[in-house]
Amino acid sequence: MSYELVVGLETHVELSTNTKIFCQCTTEFGGEPNSHCCPICLGMPGTLPKLNKKVVEYAVKAGLATNCKIRNLSKMDRKNYVYPDLPKAYQVTQFDKPICEDGYITLSSGKSIRINRIHIEEDAGKLIHERGDTYIDYNRGGVPLVEIVTDPDIRTVDEAVEYIEQLRLIMKYIGVSDVKMQEGSLRCDVNISVRKKGEEKFGTRTEIKNMNSVNFIAKAIAYEFERQVDILESGGEIHQETRRYDSDLNITESMRSKEDAEDYRYFREPDLVNIYVSEEEIKKYKAELPQLPHEKLNIFINEYGLPKDDAELLIKYKKVAEYYEEASKNLKNKKLASNYILGQIYRKFPTDSEKEEFNISIPPKYLNDLIQLVESRKINSSMASNALEKMLDSGKAVTEFISEKDMEGIDENTLRELCIKAVNENQKAVESYLGGKEKAFKSIIGYIMRETKGKADPIKATEIIKEIIGKI
Amino acid sequence: MVSKEEIIKIAKLSNLFLDENVMEEITEEMAKIVEFADAINTIVCDEDIEFDNINQIENAFNEDEVVESYSSDEVLRNREGGENGYFLVRRRV
Amino acid sequence: MSKIKQIQNLLEAKEISCVELTKKYLSNIEEKNKEINAYVNITEEEALKTAKLVDEKIATGEKLMPLEGIPMSLKDNISTKNIKTSCCSKMLKDYVPIYDATVWEILKKQNSILLGKTNMDEFAMGASTESSYFGVTLNPHNTNYVAGGSSGGAAASVAGGLAAFGLATDTGGSIRQPASFCGLVGFKPSYGSVSRYGAIAYASSLDQIGPITDSVEDAAIVYDSISIYDSKDSTSVGSKNTSHDKLNSSIKGIKIGVVKEYFEGLRDDIRKLMEDSIKVYQGLGAEIVDITIPLLKANLPVYFITACAEASSNMGRYDGIRYGYKTDSYNSIDEMICKNRSESLGKEVQRRIMLGTYALSSDRYDAYYKKAQKLRACIRRDFKKIFEECSVILTPTAPTTAYALGQAVKDPIETYSMDICTVPANIAGLPAISVPCGLAENKLPVGMQLIGNRFEDYKVLNIAYQYEKETKDQNRSLWQEVEV
Ligand SMILES: [Mg+2]
Ligand SMILES: [Zn+2]
Repeated sequence: MSYELVVGLETHVELSTNTKIFCQCTTEFGGEPNSHCCPICLGMPGTLPKLNKKVVEYAVKAGLATNCKIRNLSKMDRKNYVYPDLPKAYQVTQFDKPICEDGYITLSSGKSIRINRIHIEEDAGKLIHERGDTYIDYNRGGVPLVEIVTDPDIRTVDEAVEYIEQLRLIMKYIGVSDVKMQEGSLRCDVNISVRKKGEEKFGTRTEIKNMNSVNFIAKAIAYEFERQVDILESGGEIHQETRRYDSDLNITESMRSKEDAEDYRYFREPDLVNIYVSEEEIKKYKAELPQLPHEKLNIFINEYGLPKDDAELLIKYKKVAEYYEEASKNLKNKKLASNYILGQIYRKFPTDSEKEEFNISIPPKYLNDLIQLVESRKINSSMASNALEKMLDSGKAVTEFISEKDMEGIDENTLRELCIKAVNENQKAVESYLGGKEKAFKSIIGYIMRETKGKADPIKATEIIKEIIGKI
Repeated sequence: MVSKEEIIKIAKLSNLFLDENVMEEITEEMAKIVEFADAINTIVCDEDIEFDNINQIENAFNEDEVVESYSSDEVLRNREGGENGYFLVRRRV
Repeated sequence: MSKIKQIQNLLEAKEISCVELTKKYLSNIEEKNKEINAYVNITEEEALKTAKLVDEKIATGEKLMPLEGIPMSLKDNISTKNIKTSCCSKMLKDYVPIYDATVWEILKKQNSILLGKTNMDEFAMGASTESSYFGVTLNPHNTNYVAGGSSGGAAASVAGGLAAFGLATDTGGSIRQPASFCGLVGFKPSYGSVSRYGAIAYASSLDQIGPITDSVEDAAIVYDSISIYDSKDSTSVGSKNTSHDKLNSSIKGIKIGVVKEYFEGLRDDIRKLMEDSIKVYQGLGAEIVDITIPLLKANLPVYFITACAEASSNMGRYDGIRYGYKTDSYNSIDEMICKNRSESLGKEVQRRIMLGTYALSSDRYDAYYKKAQKLRACIRRDFKKIFEECSVILTPTAPTTAYALGQAVKDPIETYSMDICTVPANIAGLPAISVPCGLAENKLPVGMQLIGNRFEDYKVLNIAYQYEKETKDQNRSLWQEVEV
């Protein structure tokens, strides 16, 4: 009997506002312990929260970018539970009136993963365990989050991974989050159940909390799927519970069962007022949204004529995609720009985070200028490649490395004379070429390039040489 | 009605210890207070309270502008300076 | 006459220096506080420092701000930077705030003289100040009786001549009831007119800061200074009207609502005083109309459920990690937090936390918390209708005079029921004032309450002032002149 995986994801995305959600402390990552704190984010007696306006804007934008309906009127609630990282013993969040509802993200297969809701809430502080003692740092406490909750629509590990990566990219593109997973600014709670194929009823689910690596999420889902199938196959029963993923052992283990599940006693946060977002504001936020990754992907493929794989590589990093758009402006062959970026330029940015940052020394205009020269055959590709290397090292424009004279190239008469000379002085190569050795031709061209210090157009030279040899 | 089991659950959620010897007394007392509160359940009233709040204010917002945080000396003032800037939650036991 | 004005006149006429005045108050405190226990913390140094500043200002001939140089007290649940703020709980007995409540910030800017922090029921949960970790406050009129609560210390500080006025908080009557027990004016402004920032929360949607004073005029002066919009409190509105300049407006032809149910079963001597008050108003040209408090029977449970629910959540933060009481030994974090709380929070506080947790728990939420909120909305709506006709509603402040020591703590339900006259104003966020209206047969003061429409605080003060002016001679024993 084969089983089907059923996954729903709750993704917490830290918003990249300047200040925390209810006070004006910085949201900057790190810092000396408890140095980004004030009486409000520490929940000191008598303090009151006040909502950061930008948080509402970012949440609405996150909703619009994921096809959600936006609630004009929403409110904040308290979720009560006691844990040392939560200084007020309640998290201010949204319970029954989330700001965004009913959206979806479409995967590359064309399948949609429904988004049930997106709500605003505050992050907690960070516990630190050292030699058996437990400490706490509240710098992260009160950093704004959106929690994005899907319906249980995900059926494979790949779908889960693609969903998270798409979501991550969307949040990055619309500028509401840095989504640096290593800094925990995107974290997932994964709900997993299994059922026999063809069955409609969902199985009992378990939840794996607080994962911040796509790789581990994939492994955890795969492990948990196997575990649940094994239990059912051996006649056992799945217990609803919260589990933890141990990345060292690649297993999930039980944290707490449903019986000790918390009763969060949600109720309206009396210290905050209603949030009203007008249709005009929604319109304005919508107009401010940039092109989303999948929109760019379509344009790169259908209008720019890029192969799908290349287009996907370019949109993976917002800064790269935007750089490419600029660098490929007015080119007849837009793939040329993509080739330079994905090849020679990417070699300078080997890691993921370097590509993400994409601190390239030359503006896209410089790359465009260079490619224009290649397109108009003013320089050949090897000259272009040499020049680009120097440009990337220095941050300077192409004109610094290729002179007007270089660009003039070699006139046809001079080239023809050179070609005759080349054929005469490379008789052996000519003979082996005529004897069927295609490779030998290269050494003749190489001779010409050497003689002209790379200025000759190898394509033109090939034509002439073939013409001369043909006459022999 | 309030059962002893419920009192135990409520105490746990409240993070309070209840001595076994006062359990009876507290259960009884809670039952009395709950009975007093029960008076509201005989009154019919169906006001829409989804977005009710007393001042009916909307959109009280902070601007997204950083204001300097407190020094960790101040923050930790009631914990005698803390432990290297941290709050101590607990010592190893 | 206004004590605040009297003091400022004396200061500006240089008949007494602010330092001398402050010292006089401090020596009064020294003499009397041991007995009545109005203050739990006396801030002598702070007071004298500010008094000196005021004297320097007077020397330049500059005009004083409305509360400048006035010796006053703050209830110990109002956050004061670098000054202990304990809520009279063992949990916070050593807690020193690192920030100022907005009201204290305002008064500080005006160079008001803080004499100390006043006693209260633990976390303001009580009506007799008997649940204070620092012991009960006695009524300066008769020390066999309590001063009331939860702001018993604030009321006693003013009634005992240990402060010119006090700022306190009122969640279900905690300003008005002790004011009535101590023969003073206690004013709970409209919810939102005074910033709650820095008032340590008992029940966030009910709490409001207000003054306890000798006279309505003083209440108006203090109210005008503190009813300022505060950006730190999302529920803050401030006030659109100053009240002091409207105290003398004529009340001829206004309608005053009177609640029959409040008079039924009322003690004869108290009822008599109420009827006298009504006559005074009739004499002033007001028309008396019979009204009923909306859903009167529901008010106490609605109040109690709402207050406890919010309190259970507000009190969660007292885990002993960042501040507050810490236990000696424990095995786990959970156990440590439970011990920190159980060993330092009093019985009444624990009882209300449990009740609030119960009312919010998933099985009980609809029947208690949600139902209470629905009723609360109905009550608010119905009050609105009443105020389309009436300017104010007149009731007793409490169905009783001050309790004898130990009387209040016996039966909690009976004690909660004593709040029946005061809680409706908190439920509906209305302004309400308690004004002395004479002595009962036991020679203890009795208070009359006026409840007004939302944000018509100035009208409540105006109507109360007209009464006070009219009855001043007959109530002379309740007023104290400033002695120099
Ligand atoms: Mg959440
Ligand atoms: Zn802060």
